[in-house]
Amino acid sequence: MSDIIELPSYKEQSDSVRARFADIYQRPIKLEVKDVSKSFNTAKGQIDVLSPISFNVHRREFISVIGPSGCGKSTLIRMLAGLETVSGGQFLLDGKEASGPGADRGMVFQGYTLFPWLTVKKNVMFGLEVNGHSGTSVEQEAMQWIELVGLGHAAESYPSQLSGGMKQRVAIARALANQPQILFMDEPFGALDPHTRSQMQSHLLQIWHNVDVTIMFVTHDLDEAIYLSDRILVLKANPGEIQEFIEVPVPRPRTPEQMLSPEFLATKQRLEELIHPKEHTSTQDLPIVRMTSVNDNVE
Amino acid sequence: MKNSSQFKAPTTPWFAVRKELSAKRRSLLIAASFILPILLWSIVSYTPFIWHPDIKLEISADRENVTTVFTAGNHLSKEYFPGFVEAVEAENSEILAARASGESTTSGFRARRANLKILRHMAPVAIANGWLTREEAEDDSQLYQVWQGVAEGTLVGSKVKLSDQNIALIKRNWELLSAKSPTFVSKSLPETPLEKLVPQGRPANPVYLPAPHEVVIQGYHDFTQETDPDKPSMWQRYKHSLRIVFFGFMLSALVGVPIGILCGTFDFFSKLFEPFIDFFRYMPAPAFSTLLVAVFLAHDAPKIALVFLGTFFQMVLVVSNTTRQLDASLIEAAQTLGAKTFTMIRRVIIPGITPNLYNDMRILLGWSWTWLVIAELIGVKSGLTEFIETQGRWRNFDSVFPIIIMIGVTGFVTDQILASLRKYFFPWTPESSEKKHGFIGRFVLWMLDRKVYDTPKNGKA
Repeated sequence: MSDIIELPSYKEQSDSVRARFADIYQRPIKLEVKDVSKSFNTAKGQIDVLSPISFNVHRREFISVIGPSGCGKSTLIRMLAGLETVSGGQFLLDGKEASGPGADRGMVFQGYTLFPWLTVKKNVMFGLEVNGHSGTSVEQEAMQWIELVGLGHAAESYPSQLSGGMKQRVAIARALANQPQILFMDEPFGALDPHTRSQMQSHLLQIWHNVDVTIMFVTHDLDEAIYLSDRILVLKANPGEIQEFIEVPVPRPRTPEQMLSPEFLATKQRLEELIHPKEHTSTQDLPIVRMTSVNDNVE
Repeated sequence: MKNSSQFKAPTTPWFAVRKELSAKRRSLLIAASFILPILLWSIVSYTPFIWHPDIKLEISADRENVTTVFTAGNHLSKEYFPGFVEAVEAENSEILAARASGESTTSGFRARRANLKILRHMAPVAIANGWLTREEAEDDSQLYQVWQGVAEGTLVGSKVKLSDQNIALIKRNWELLSAKSPTFVSKSLPETPLEKLVPQGRPANPVYLPAPHEVVIQGYHDFTQETDPDKPSMWQRYKHSLRIVFFGFMLSALVGVPIGILCGTFDFFSKLFEPFIDFFRYMPAPAFSTLLVAVFLAHDAPKIALVFLGTFFQMVLVVSNTTRQLDASLIEAAQTLGAKTFTMIRRVIIPGITPNLYNDMRILLGWSWTWLVIAELIGVKSGLTEFIETQGRWRNFDSVFPIIIMIGVTGFVTDQILASLRKYFFPWTPESSEKKHGFIGRFVLWMLDRKVYDTPKNGKA
């Protein structure tokens, strides 16, 4: 791929980036994953979805999880959010073992999971109310979160009146309103069109900048992973296990223009190598069958 | 016509695969779907050569030594009717022959009574032509005057036209009658046997298909007439029937909906209740009717219980299915927001399923109307069904149809009203903003004054 331009190694970091990572590792550990694994028992026997994996996430870090389909990246994040049981190992949140779903871990899903019978404001208030808050302060707080995602004008709308991007922004506001220790995002922009998607990515970085929250973000889009993350957890399929935990050498603050910078491309090249290793899908192997007459040569 | 250069939206052709027709064409078809059946009914009823296998008697006659008695309004088959007429004619010629030869077959009281019967056969003609009311026609002296009028030509039938044969016969009879007395005196009826009115009738549909106007007139009559105080009026019957449907359905919803929601939410309740319910619903509710009467005695209780039994089991299964169809990701989202079991049911599951639950309830309410008819026949028969049953036995199908139609209209209108109210209960469902008001919806809005329901839209503040 890179015969044309000579790229630097993705491991080369500028001084500022190196200093930033040194700072990150100084921070307290927010999430400690210890030998967490997942397997299913089926009629054919036990199927290991995820071999025991361990890693740490530091406070206010932005981690992406990436890997080929079937590598268990969604399963991992659903286990951490408490939506699925852990087959082995444990994970600690702020040093304490967490089990089952709870308000300390927020989640944004790929599908639209806003409650359709509640207005935007009531959706954001939901988490606060079920956790025992009430009164006008809840409403004010909800409005602040809605303003944060830039939807103050739509507070009284129902989800069915919003576009896909707006729905996901509300979902982020709703998850953040509980002030979770960590926010899990499972391909949240997967269903959006490319334009909205890149808007949402910039928007998410802005929110993350303004809010004290640690984010774990599952995606299969390499650009998205690099553009957003401090580190990228690359998983491998059958069974799922960690291939590499890549430190993204692209300096912050990020801008879309950086997508063409050498560090960005070098990281992307590395991810390509890890996720699509030497695939035999060259068109040369396909038999040449012409169903219609072709007179002019396109090449 | 000038050529107009204005843009005109192309109309959808009448037969376009999965394309919506224009609003105008749709309304036209909706109207037609109701008008066509009525039109078909009218054509069959009012076109004499289409499916009129019967003769409906306008004038009947009693036969000598024949026990089967026909009265005006009865239906005879077209094959049988000529034989009936011929037999009466034959009896008349025997009477005339006997009179000519001077022998008298009967005499005195019996002869006078036979003649009185012949006089009374004029009553249906007098009523149909509006010469006499139903009550007046029971008065023999009034009938006597009708005979006089017809014989002297002052009364000419408009609805029931007497045949020339009958008019001639009436004149001959009147000569005998007026010779004895110009007014009715029961003792001074002639002893000479009178000629019998020859049966007359017109082609008719089978007895089970009354004509539209007969149904309307009879329906109006049944709903407005004063009934004797021992029997319920039609509106009382209607209210009684509504009450049984309402209580049966409400009871079933009161118990069935919570159980259904529990079954849809917890596998525990699903496995505990549903297998048995699934089995039980195959036992037809009417099969329990005698049992229900034994347990709840004869009046309304067993009827309500039957409607309950008919709807409850379906309801649990339908509601649990609806509950299970709630998007699981909504539940997961609520979990990650910190909702625990009870909060989840109250704040996510129940509000999430209500729009579908509402539709389920509409369908099940329709079902409970079907059970009503059977319910009203068990124990002491009651309500509209009792009326249908009795009138049907007497073959008064013109009384039966209005009731059947009314039950249908009640169910249909209730359902349409509930359907059009849905958008006010669930303004957040996507379809509530898309769908335009239907006919009944507009009517309800007009009745309720829609300003009350228009919530201010402050979305663009």
